[in-house]
Amino acid sequence: MMHSNLKISTILTAVLTMGAMAVFFISFLLAETEISLLITVALGIGFFIFAKNQSYFENMIIFSNQRPVFFHGLIIIIISLILSICKHEHFALFMIASVTLYATACFGLTLQLGYAGLTNFAGAAFLGIGGYTVAILANNNVPIILSVLFGGITASLIGSLLILPILRTRGHYAALVTIAFSLLFKTFLELNEFLGGPQGIKIPPMNLFGWSFSEPVLGGSFYISYVILSLIVMGVVLGITRLVEKSWLGLHFDSVRIDEVASSCFGINIAFWKITAFTIGNFFIGISGGIYANMLGHIAPTNFTFGDSLILISIVILGGIGNPIGVLPAAFLILVLPEKLQFIQEYRLLLFSILVILVLIYRPDGLLNRPLRKFYKEWGPPFIGK
Amino acid sequence: MILDFLDQYLVNGLVLGVIYAMVAVGFTLFFGVLNIIKFSHGDVLMAGGFAALLAHQTLTSLGSELTIFNLIVTIIFAVLSMGLLGALAARFLVLPLKAAPPLNTLLITLMLGLAIREAVRLFYPNGSNPKPFPRLLPDTSTTLQTFQIRTDSLIIIFGGLGAILFLHLLIKNTRLGLAIRAIAQDSETARLMGINFRKIVLGTFALGSGLAALAGVANGLYYNEVNFSMGLFLGVVGFSSAVVGGLGSILGAIIGGFLFALLQTLGAIWFTVPAYKDVFAFIIIIVIMACRPTGLLSESSSDRV
Amino acid sequence: MNRTLLLLIVCCTCHFGCSSEENSSVKIGFIGPLTGGVSANGIGGRNSADLAIKLANSDPTKKNQYELVVLDDECKPNIGIQVATKVAANPNILGVVAHYCSAVAVGTVDVFHKFGMPMIVWGAVLPKITYGNSYPEVHRVNGTMINQNDVAAKFMVDMGYKTWVIIHDTTDYGKGHNKYFSESLEKYGGTILGSFGVTADQQDFNAELTKIKSLNPEVIYFGGITPIGVRIRTQMDRLNISAVFQGTSGIISDAYIEGTGPLAERTLAFREGDAAERLPGGSVFLEEYKKQQYSSPPEAYGPFAFAATNLLIAAIENTGSNRERITKYLNQVRNYDSVIGKITFDEYGQNMVPLITKFVVQDGDWVIWEQSEYKSGERNLSQKP
Repeated sequence: MMHSNLKISTILTAVLTMGAMAVFFISFLLAETEISLLITVALGIGFFIFAKNQSYFENMIIFSNQRPVFFHGLIIIIISLILSICKHEHFALFMIASVTLYATACFGLTLQLGYAGLTNFAGAAFLGIGGYTVAILANNNVPIILSVLFGGITASLIGSLLILPILRTRGHYAALVTIAFSLLFKTFLELNEFLGGPQGIKIPPMNLFGWSFSEPVLGGSFYISYVILSLIVMGVVLGITRLVEKSWLGLHFDSVRIDEVASSCFGINIAFWKITAFTIGNFFIGISGGIYANMLGHIAPTNFTFGDSLILISIVILGGIGNPIGVLPAAFLILVLPEKLQFIQEYRLLLFSILVILVLIYRPDGLLNRPLRKFYKEWGPPFIGK
Repeated sequence: MILDFLDQYLVNGLVLGVIYAMVAVGFTLFFGVLNIIKFSHGDVLMAGGFAALLAHQTLTSLGSELTIFNLIVTIIFAVLSMGLLGALAARFLVLPLKAAPPLNTLLITLMLGLAIREAVRLFYPNGSNPKPFPRLLPDTSTTLQTFQIRTDSLIIIFGGLGAILFLHLLIKNTRLGLAIRAIAQDSETARLMGINFRKIVLGTFALGSGLAALAGVANGLYYNEVNFSMGLFLGVVGFSSAVVGGLGSILGAIIGGFLFALLQTLGAIWFTVPAYKDVFAFIIIIVIMACRPTGLLSESSSDRV
Repeated sequence: MNRTLLLLIVCCTCHFGCSSEENSSVKIGFIGPLTGGVSANGIGGRNSADLAIKLANSDPTKKNQYELVVLDDECKPNIGIQVATKVAANPNILGVVAHYCSAVAVGTVDVFHKFGMPMIVWGAVLPKITYGNSYPEVHRVNGTMINQNDVAAKFMVDMGYKTWVIIHDTTDYGKGHNKYFSESLEKYGGTILGSFGVTADQQDFNAELTKIKSLNPEVIYFGGITPIGVRIRTQMDRLNISAVFQGTSGIISDAYIEGTGPLAERTLAFREGDAAERLPGGSVFLEEYKKQQYSSPPEAYGPFAFAATNLLIAAIENTGSNRERITKYLNQVRNYDSVIGKITFDEYGQNMVPLITKFVVQDGDWVIWEQSEYKSGERNLSQKP
């Protein structure tokens, strides 16, 4: 792995860029007044343009390619630093955990939509299935780790009801199947008293091997537990997603997505691969839904509407379809931006929609579009396209 | 007992079907030329209703009291303004994203829909509350043996069907329609043949959005009320109808619209909790999609739009 | 280029230093739905709370200057919990006036309790919010749907009506009203011919109403809020249904009258608390509200938000800047004079609303029943004007 041509300056600038991104992240999250928010954004944009001109981002990619252990270690250090700075900031931690969990769910969608080409407009429904499973099991004293896993499994199982229509349809027709499911799911929840009806259902706080999630941890906020848990889950899911992409699994998915007819001519079982992607994806969404529900402590049908499914799909699209790394800034933008716009009160959703439109006009393919598959090392950077 | 009011159910189902079909035709048109879903379509419908309301208020404040004149001016204003909005959306939001994955168009139009909805809510005077829509159609009723039909319902049904028929003839018989069909079939070749792609796309969006505005006015006239969130559900239903009927076919959109209205009405009659009617309708839709994966009227490349 | 970088770093550090600068005024939180379907009520409540703050700040006898921190919960539980965490975790905010939507409030009371944040509910009506827990922090100035429906059922039965059909939306609000009204009606001997749960975003009610027409009830009870209330009332007219339209507190709004026009006439509705118009403080509230020239009316629950904010200000004035003491003060509130009548909290923090006001629409206005021409017999509820 050791390449002799990695310059010290490359490493330095890469580390600097990562540090600057972390600083931007924290100050954006913690900025409370409009002025500090504006300064943060202005500085962020300033640094972005500067770094882009100096090709710092390319350096970062080179660095991550050639020193993966160092790179990932650094990320862990930065995250620990962020957590230790924010450890008393309940709200910032809450937002970090939300973004992380939504991103985890979106990795599931990336598998389905980005890799296998299955449009899933029922993301929030599967999130809700995970959440409600955890709610019911946790209220019956099932250990939390099991109930979260069950949340994922239930999401996969219920998702399998849709497999037949999804296998038979394509494109917009498949989209309709999931849209219909998403709409009927919410109404079903509202009408069903067993699941708490429209006022929702409460979930007792998590307890993992005697580690109570409702108690303050490490002298900080009780949300730290959720942040750590969701970061670990996200790390694992992201790892799996990227492994899938790199492996022969990913090749099969790509081939199924790009040309079904050609794939089946080459002996690829289209149905098998679609079912695999759909099931794994729903499993990821279900798991993150389970943890999210546990963190909220109370879920209701209005959390899992078609509109929320659209939020999930928006994150995937905005990130750049098929690029799991792009999901991270997109999730941050879609979830934290409306929150930061609270100061304009009722005008915030209007401004939010306009901002997203502007982002899309300037980056029609999403924030970070999917790179070309790298068959040889020398081929192109791994996660930012042209 | 239910048969006593069969006429009511029937007429209401027909009106719903016509409104759904008008929305669905828009989806089918956009899909035909650009292969995209335009998610702001329902909100354009809503904005059309509000534009009509605005036009009517201006007219009455100018002292115009002739109902039929007001109605026509109102409709023309709503259709033209929404047609313009549709063309602008196509020019500045949809066409720039042509090279991106089609789903990105979905996101940008989704956000456009949100922006339209929020703008109406915030900037129309007291727009967050439902607004009464003027009764511009005669509210007399005709009795045919045991059937009782209100005149305004009849006007909406035939007016809506007429508008769709007009659009159909436009597409089948004019040069513009020919160009739209050519682009729907093969946009590359069409462009090589000298068809101005951009102009035709703008035209199609204007047409579809104009029809949505008409549906918005029809909706307002029928319910005597418009509100800023009415486009949400109608958009989803319109999309469902277009897809279930078979994207790219106007007849399919009409069939889809009426099918959806039928399912909803049946659901409301059968279930003691009417909220299940949408659950019912959507389950049937999923089943239909499983049986006929490309819609009831299967999409065939030679018959798109 | 390194100099630019240095400059950026310096700016960053400076900006961190600057952002921690504190404002000297006392902060109070307001949470309500400012976007989405029920935003009219949220904005009305926000304006009313804002009015209370403005009046307090212009009052020289007050010790502190106040600042309202307004947050939008979108009427969604997850967003509600998010903003509740934001408010409660901010030590500079001393109390919060929160929530119009019940499903949101049910979830956030846990958060407020966890952080020891005194809160007063200004609009959510689900009984469980106060009675479902024993959190000292949680209070509510408006009554619950239990009181409202009990009075409504008794009143209507006493008027001589016998048969009802219930339409309710399938949100917690509508479903709760359905439950409590049905129970009370059974107690007083009314008959329910049928009940219809409809989704809150439904546009077309013709099919349901046709079915209702065949049941031919004397009264249609509607449990839900203004937007679908308007739709149902207008569509009733299309089908020539002449039954009395009886609503809940959710439709007592100017928007209902504006949306239904002349059809609003003889609609009945009930609300907890005395009518603002009838109280000396209430008419001052309405006048002051007009003076501020807000772009939208206070709506039905505006006075409650105003009263809740005033109560919180009184608590802070009396106890100083300490959440625990504020909570304690609030728990001991008895017979506090407000625009909605006297406020007395029971051990659950629920205002024991002594009075339910009955309203009827007469000539385009919500008129208190006792003052209406329907009461005096000049007009008849069951007859189309």
